[in-house]
Amino acid sequence: MSQGFSLYLARDSGLHRLHPLTKLSLAATLLVAAFALPGPWSSYAVFLLVLLPLAAWGRILPGFLRSVARSVLPFALSLFLIQGLLWPGGSPVARLGPLSLKAEGLAFALASTGRILMIVSSFLLLALSTRPDLLMIALAQRGFPSTLSYIVVTTIQIVPYFQGKARAILDAQRSRGLETEGGLRRRLRALLPLVVPLVLSSILDIEERAIALEARAFGRHGTKTSLQVLSDSRAQSVLRWAILALAPLLLVAGLVL
Amino acid sequence: MIAVQDLTYTYPGAKDPALSRLSLTVPAGQVCAVIGANGAGKSTLCHALTGFIPHFFRGTLQGELRVADLSIPDTPLAELAGTIGLVFQNPFNQITGARFSVLEEVAFGLENLGIPREEILDRCRSALELTGLQNLADRSPFDLSGGQMQRLAIASMLAMRPRLLVLDEPTSQLDPAGTEAVFLHLRQLASTGQTTVLLVEHKLEWIAAFADRVLVLSAGSLAADGPPRQVLGSADLERAGLRPNRYTLVARRAQELGLASAAPLPVTLEQAVEFLG
Amino acid sequence: MRIRVEAVSYRYPSGVQALQEVSFSVDPGETVAIVGENGAGKTTLARHLNGLLRPQSGAISIGDWDARLHSVAQLSSRVGYVFQSPDDQLFARTVREEVAFGPRNLGWESARVRECADSALVEAGLSDSADRHPYDLSPSERKFVALAATLAMRTPIVILDEPTTGLDASGVDRLSEIVSALSRAGVSLVIISHDLDFCIEHVERALVMTQGRIVADGPVKEVFLEPELLAQAQLRQPQLIRLARGLGIPFAPSTVEEFIQGYRSRRR
Repeated sequence: MSQGFSLYLARDSGLHRLHPLTKLSLAATLLVAAFALPGPWSSYAVFLLVLLPLAAWGRILPGFLRSVARSVLPFALSLFLIQGLLWPGGSPVARLGPLSLKAEGLAFALASTGRILMIVSSFLLLALSTRPDLLMIALAQRGFPSTLSYIVVTTIQIVPYFQGKARAILDAQRSRGLETEGGLRRRLRALLPLVVPLVLSSILDIEERAIALEARAFGRHGTKTSLQVLSDSRAQSVLRWAILALAPLLLVAGLVL
Repeated sequence: MIAVQDLTYTYPGAKDPALSRLSLTVPAGQVCAVIGANGAGKSTLCHALTGFIPHFFRGTLQGELRVADLSIPDTPLAELAGTIGLVFQNPFNQITGARFSVLEEVAFGLENLGIPREEILDRCRSALELTGLQNLADRSPFDLSGGQMQRLAIASMLAMRPRLLVLDEPTSQLDPAGTEAVFLHLRQLASTGQTTVLLVEHKLEWIAAFADRVLVLSAGSLAADGPPRQVLGSADLERAGLRPNRYTLVARRAQELGLASAAPLPVTLEQAVEFLG
Repeated sequence: MRIRVEAVSYRYPSGVQALQEVSFSVDPGETVAIVGENGAGKTTLARHLNGLLRPQSGAISIGDWDARLHSVAQLSSRVGYVFQSPDDQLFARTVREEVAFGPRNLGWESARVRECADSALVEAGLSDSADRHPYDLSPSERKFVALAATLAMRTPIVILDEPTTGLDASGVDRLSEIVSALSRAGVSLVIISHDLDFCIEHVERALVMTQGRIVADGPVKEVFLEPELLAQAQLRQPQLIRLARGLGIPFAPSTVEEFIQGYRSRRR
């Protein structure tokens, strides 16, 4: 597996062996649940009782917790501060000089953070335990357009290449005396010699890659086969439908309760 | 395998044609080298033989262009893929980026062709062996050197079993070790006689040792056509804006000074040693 | 301007030890080739000379400057670097503007910028293309644009990274003339190249690198006469040397004429 942008952590686990669409349907249902479930505590409950055990089953618990913390903590921190300090009216809980943290604001932040936590961690679980190319193959088998899936999968590997190219351009322009440190005006002036070569040479690269893909029969319309075999079972198929069926149920429950 | 008659092609918006009344016949199994100064039309010819002209680049095309019994202008690109392969200069731009291992990368084209899975594995294995990449099958395609990436591009094409393989300056961006490996594997491929090879190259020393036939392109037309020793040793080269390699130059100078016989000029090291020894 | 590299070591963040205690110097006006296989450290070493990389140990001086104390932009007034891929730097609307970019960054006044850009265009054979968009030119012409862009900066040291890649015979001739002119003007040249045939015609001295070390440093003819040394760096000897060896004449001709002279005297 190349490094690139992918979050995928290869492990020998039941979670990894699940069909990609099974994991995708779980993430999709949890996304709906994040908005449908009542109260601030239900999302934390789902995180603790559903997502953490799944991550443990997938042997990705440390990586999972790290990624979740990295993504959610910054949000959570700013949410708590902003909502706590700027909540209009309300009952103050603590004082910070002229400002005060309001209980209602904190409660709101708690609920929002719970939602974010649930959504982000369910998709992270998907990304950490699923090879992106296998997910794309699974989607392609269900009729997802191949050009779209190509774009998604290659972005994972090609973005680091563009980063490398941007670095090479920066080096070349600095070697011609371009100053990149300093005031705003200087930095703005430095943008054009950095961005234009990236765009222009990328256009050339894209054209060549399009030709290479055509030569590999990418534009062919007939049925395509796959070297990778995705393991699936009747049980999983039923499970997927059951999970997806939960989504509308949760929505209704959330509206009624 | 290749039957081109009076081919004239002009890029969209260009004044002058890039190829001008070019006629060429190449029998199956031949290894044909195409040389010429920059701008002579070599890449244009490569694109024409693989269908990217006219289907990808548009422009105006006249004359007859048939490859593997197919009329190129009348056959969609998707149908040509698999029958005709193309490898070009930049190794990186030929990696699809959609697969995470060398083996899967080679399989990509076969998956698109709808080849059954077991056959895919077989073909990939033999393509990797033919290019010396069998030990790198599990490596990420981006974790390879330039020379290895280029061999991967060649393997990816070979797995599709094209009847014609066109290579447009495949060693241009490679170091000497990478260049040698590519030529070595092309020679092995050529010896199987199963694929017709058309190779555009600047490195005359390599072509001399390896091609059955050398075509010289100049300003969009064929300026010379014949076996390596004849073409690479002739005065036609200078007229086409090229220069013979140093072995030939030395031999010619020796001939001029009466230090060597009037035999045909050498184009490889071995021939030169024989000539001057 | 003298270049002095003393016991420089460098390890990439990925852990690869790219340079191990490398030392060498280049006298003012000298022309040196650095040869070696991919990954030997040639480009890593060259990037230390203009500040793109900083040594983890050892010292580098460019003239009287300690390279470690100056920014890349500052060093660019003394060390010109022509990169292998011109498409990584072309951004201006015309070739002339592109070539003027460097001199402008050096803070020269407009008259001098114009003058240096124009003469660089002439030296690189680009006068006819001066008002065209760089991307309207062919890939090999763009290489000459990148070269002119560095020439215009009139640096006393010029580094060329694989200058012959992608050039045909007339392109190599044009490059040869530019390199000879630079040499005659007293510019110190550092040429990184796989093309040993080109190197032997243009440099006085060669450094062979392999696995982060310099394994040979001497007059080019002496260094290129050692097949085992070059083989260590996965290189073959230049064509004329191989031919001479094949004929049992152990010398290192750098041109066809030199070869003929040696061959003649051997035959007598």
